[in-house]
Amino acid sequence: MQFSIATTLDDALAALAAGSRPVAGGSDLVVGARHGKGSLPDSVVAIDRIAALSNIESTPTGLRIGSTVTHAILMEHPDIVNGYTALADASALVGSPSTRNIGTLGGNVMNASPAMDTGAPLNVLGASVELQSAEDESHEVSVASLWTGPGKTSARPDELCTAILLPHRPPRSGSAYVRLEYRRAMEIAVVGAAASVELHEDGTIAEVRVALAAVAPTIISVDVSAIIGASVDEATLAAVAAAASERATPISDVRASEKYRRHTVGVMARRAVEAAAKRANGEHIAVPVNRAVGVGAATLQATGVTK
Amino acid sequence: MSSDMTPVTISVNGTDYPVTISPSRNLLSVLRDEVGLTGTKEGCDDCECGACMVLLDGQPINSCSYLAAQTEGRSVTTIEGLVTGDELHPMQRNILEEGGVQCGFCTPGMIMSTCALLERCPNPTQEEIQIGLSGNLCRCTGYGTIIAAVARTAAEA
Amino acid sequence: MTIAEMPRFVRADGPDKVTGTGRYIADLSLTGMLHAKLKYAGISHGRIVAINTAAALAMPGVVSVLTADDVPDVRYSPGVADRTLFAKDVVRFEGDVVAAVAATTPEIAAAAVAAIEVTYEELPVVGDLEAALKADSPLVHDSWQTYESGETVQGHNIASRSSLDRGDAKAAMATAHTVVTSRYVADGSHAAPIEPRGVVAQWEGNKVTIWSSTQVPFDARSGVCETLGLPTSRVRIIVPHLGGGFGGKCGFHFEAHIAALARAAKRPVRLVFSREEEFRAPDRRREGMIIDITTGLDADGAIVARIGHALLDCGAYIADGAFFPQLAAMHISGPYKVPNLFIDASLVYTNHQPSGSVRAPTAPTACWALESHTDELAAAAGIDPVAFRKLNCVDTGTEGPTGQLFGEIGLQRCIDAATSLAGYGTDLPDDEAIGVSVGWWPSFGVPSGAFVKLDSDGFGQIVTGAQECGTGAVMTLRQLAAEELGMDPENFELVYQDTSAAPWDLGATGSQTLFNNGRAVIGASQQIAEQLRELAANELEAAAADIVLANGMASVKGSPEASISIAALAGIAAGGELLLGHGSGTPPEAPEAVGTTCVGDQGVAAWVAPQFSCHAVHVKLDRDTGVVRVLDVSAAHDSGTIINPVGASGQVHGGILMGIGQALTEGTTYADDGRQVNAGLLEYKLQTAADTPEIRLEFVQINTPNAGPHGAKGIAEAPNVATPGAISNAIAKLVGSPVRQLPMTAERIWEKLDGGAQ
Repeated sequence: MQFSIATTLDDALAALAAGSRPVAGGSDLVVGARHGKGSLPDSVVAIDRIAALSNIESTPTGLRIGSTVTHAILMEHPDIVNGYTALADASALVGSPSTRNIGTLGGNVMNASPAMDTGAPLNVLGASVELQSAEDESHEVSVASLWTGPGKTSARPDELCTAILLPHRPPRSGSAYVRLEYRRAMEIAVVGAAASVELHEDGTIAEVRVALAAVAPTIISVDVSAIIGASVDEATLAAVAAAASERATPISDVRASEKYRRHTVGVMARRAVEAAAKRANGEHIAVPVNRAVGVGAATLQATGVTK
Repeated sequence: MSSDMTPVTISVNGTDYPVTISPSRNLLSVLRDEVGLTGTKEGCDDCECGACMVLLDGQPINSCSYLAAQTEGRSVTTIEGLVTGDELHPMQRNILEEGGVQCGFCTPGMIMSTCALLERCPNPTQEEIQIGLSGNLCRCTGYGTIIAAVARTAAEA
Repeated sequence: MTIAEMPRFVRADGPDKVTGTGRYIADLSLTGMLHAKLKYAGISHGRIVAINTAAALAMPGVVSVLTADDVPDVRYSPGVADRTLFAKDVVRFEGDVVAAVAATTPEIAAAAVAAIEVTYEELPVVGDLEAALKADSPLVHDSWQTYESGETVQGHNIASRSSLDRGDAKAAMATAHTVVTSRYVADGSHAAPIEPRGVVAQWEGNKVTIWSSTQVPFDARSGVCETLGLPTSRVRIIVPHLGGGFGGKCGFHFEAHIAALARAAKRPVRLVFSREEEFRAPDRRREGMIIDITTGLDADGAIVARIGHALLDCGAYIADGAFFPQLAAMHISGPYKVPNLFIDASLVYTNHQPSGSVRAPTAPTACWALESHTDELAAAAGIDPVAFRKLNCVDTGTEGPTGQLFGEIGLQRCIDAATSLAGYGTDLPDDEAIGVSVGWWPSFGVPSGAFVKLDSDGFGQIVTGAQECGTGAVMTLRQLAAEELGMDPENFELVYQDTSAAPWDLGATGSQTLFNNGRAVIGASQQIAEQLRELAANELEAAAADIVLANGMASVKGSPEASISIAALAGIAAGGELLLGHGSGTPPEAPEAVGTTCVGDQGVAAWVAPQFSCHAVHVKLDRDTGVVRVLDVSAAHDSGTIINPVGASGQVHGGILMGIGQALTEGTTYADDGRQVNAGLLEYKLQTAADTPEIRLEFVQINTPNAGPHGAKGIAEAPNVATPGAISNAIAKLVGSPVRQLPMTAERIWEKLDGGAQ
């Protein structure tokens, strides 16, 4: 294997043009190679020292997140926590403190795992990615058209994801990501759901988007337009759950059966909409939702250990 | 296997180690087999157990899943780097005194995760400690004594 | 003395472990060392048609390749000799070893293993316990009747069978006022120590030294001697620091394979397992079970009869499981007064990974079934589950299910203590509940030896055959020696885990280290104490019987000014008769099981110094998903006198966490082809620091006669018994009926809630 460290974007793009594969933290690549999900590539270029890729900046259209920004940064960054909360929720649930420290948003996006936690939030937040190659000018692609299958994207091998772009959030809006967890850490999404909700002054729903993780070959969105105009009540949330379960096409595997995934993704979707609506309404629900409310809440934590 | 051997300088605990390695080698194997520091352990090979935890420029990483060559120009801290002379790091002392060491195989990783946590969060709550250690599996202790050792270390600082 | 009053315990091996300088097996390397890789069957059942190692041998860097043809043709295993080092003719589970390679690097060894071609004629996979017993089922071992089996009772796909029969269970059941029948089905699970195992072997002349991550070095030595045809004088096993065992590293495993490779290669060889190998290859997995229990009560809710049947998944080989049926039967009987009892249990061969002793073998699973059943009994009798246990559980002076008469025991006090700690009976939100379970576990009295010596400066060594797997049991031996000699525990060095240096010990198994080796260390120390008293009597011109050893001094009783330091006495002894002690002593004898008939008796129908426990677990349920979180656990344990409170509570905390994992998230899933589906730590989910609940603990301390030192019993396994049953009972309260499958995963709980209705 050839290995190089790029310190400028041009170096990285040149390496990609020559056939290198980019790594930021590299853990997906290294673990994947060891577990037979494909051998290590012949040539790898490290992109984690390119300053231009590691910033979070406001732009006229919204927020631009450099592709090598880590989950540890995202989960605490005020702009993300306040404006794009679902992404903070998801980032805070990824793996462990060390994997959050290494894992990057660009890595998630380009790995295109249907079980990635950050995917459903990006979907409901209307994200697009910025792709650039040595040959072409940078261009934007929506995440929905980027992800074409498990581990597959529409990007060319010589294209580097340089940033993830999030449009401005409307007023009275909120978002949330909720995941099914069998334990309180070190989980991979069995199912997960993100929601973005915008409320009218009277508390009824002005706009709503829901997306699901780990129940289809890619992150999928759910048509919940039927609840626009409704208030966020039990009937509305039940409709969300039903729509999500209906939309899901999960598989059965060691983590869960198809039937259980179909049911629980509905539960996650309703909880995501409920939390997003509360946030839209100005209620504070700490990041991540999984540690703020319900069976995983930090407040249930033991206060001391008997010696 | 090794036609692509490359010279790399790995800086560990303040000492530079020039090594010639395949760039596909992970940091864990280079620390243990080339640098010769075996305090960092391998309990799995996919970031699930945390026994291989080290600090890279002060941040925690699972060395099993990090390319050694990618540390060039950065500084790695391992469990061996925490002792100053004969003086144990406070967490090394406290985890022992609280009874948080049994088989000891997770211990170096636990201590490195604690260092990372307390650097970022000097006065952690119980929940912050538990989440901070959540990437380090321990099969012996049930974690309570380790959590108590972290709390004590924070309180003493 | 209460726990709070006892001195804090700092481990002698602690500095090694917290600094990273302590050496574990994978940290050892020797000049010229080669790397081993094992070739596994990869299929669960097949006849070997051909093995072609030519391509592997031809690879540069490959030094030796071994198969069954290269080692003595020996069948081994305690109980039933059903296994060979390398699979011969037939492979019976995915981890059966077909060949072994030694090469200059691990990568070359792995490539060589991949290049070994094995042709199989696939055979039907035996995976279902009940189907395996049918006459038309394929046999896992078609020549089982030719295997040496000693006292072990065998049958068609039955590796070992045992029954307990007392009174007339059938007749008594017919007269019962209330009868409840339950079925419980449990998946297998894993010990999952954080250190994967490893072995290093080096030959010098005709002797081999083997460094191994084993909990039982003397057992490992026996295995090497038996399979390679060597006397014990030519095999030395050394265990460096051991990164946890939990039974998973009991037994003889891969020491002989690596010794044989090293002999063939004429170089030292090291094997280190990957996590996946640690899941798939060892014959130490907790057994899956199917348990049927019927219990009859009289009109007052007292148990009058119990009939139980259990099938245990043996997997492909018996390993150390011959006594599992009887142990399971004891746990299905439980620590209850059962005048009429019939329990029949069989260890059933399948093409799964072999099961073997994992922390309290059979107990957490069988206890989970029995204690869930007990809550069903209480409900049927209209009695509160705690009151039901108080009524039916054994107590001082009563007879256990097999007729064993108990001396002073603390079970009733454990029930009171745990439920009190838990606040049992207080109102809880309707998605929370507290479940209660009792458990029991034997102490094992076996021979064990130690030497103690004092050097000329008054510092000493304890040379012991005992094995430290992390529990701290060996570390605690210093306290015992120090107490006998009036010295500081810090003044003793421990020399341990070397079969050529120390006397025999059973190893870190059966919670027996302090129980048996403690006696040996005390015996050895007492010999030195006698020597010191003689020396001091001479120096101080007093009678030896009047010499008191305390605080590092020998002084005359009643005249503390007449004293001399132990260090000075040791200096005097260095010029004459050296201060050397050796200890072993007589193990406590097992009590009788009066009036009980045992078929396939493996010697555990009555228990020496039985340990008792009660756990009360408070859980919260997410009704929409079935996810359960354990909020707090209250535990009370009668393990006799507690000698090392920090170590003992560490065992309880760790055992409870392991029990929570077994209850909720840890279970082996097999595909229909007999292979494990979740052989990794992502899909086989241990509890994390984020999951750990508050744990409240009380030791009910009874200075138990006919037990270990100072009235101590064992402690390492007992905490791993009661937790799953208590969690099951809490969940049953919230769900309306027991989940009946272990682990009680979120999905299985949900099926009891909404899922069943859909």
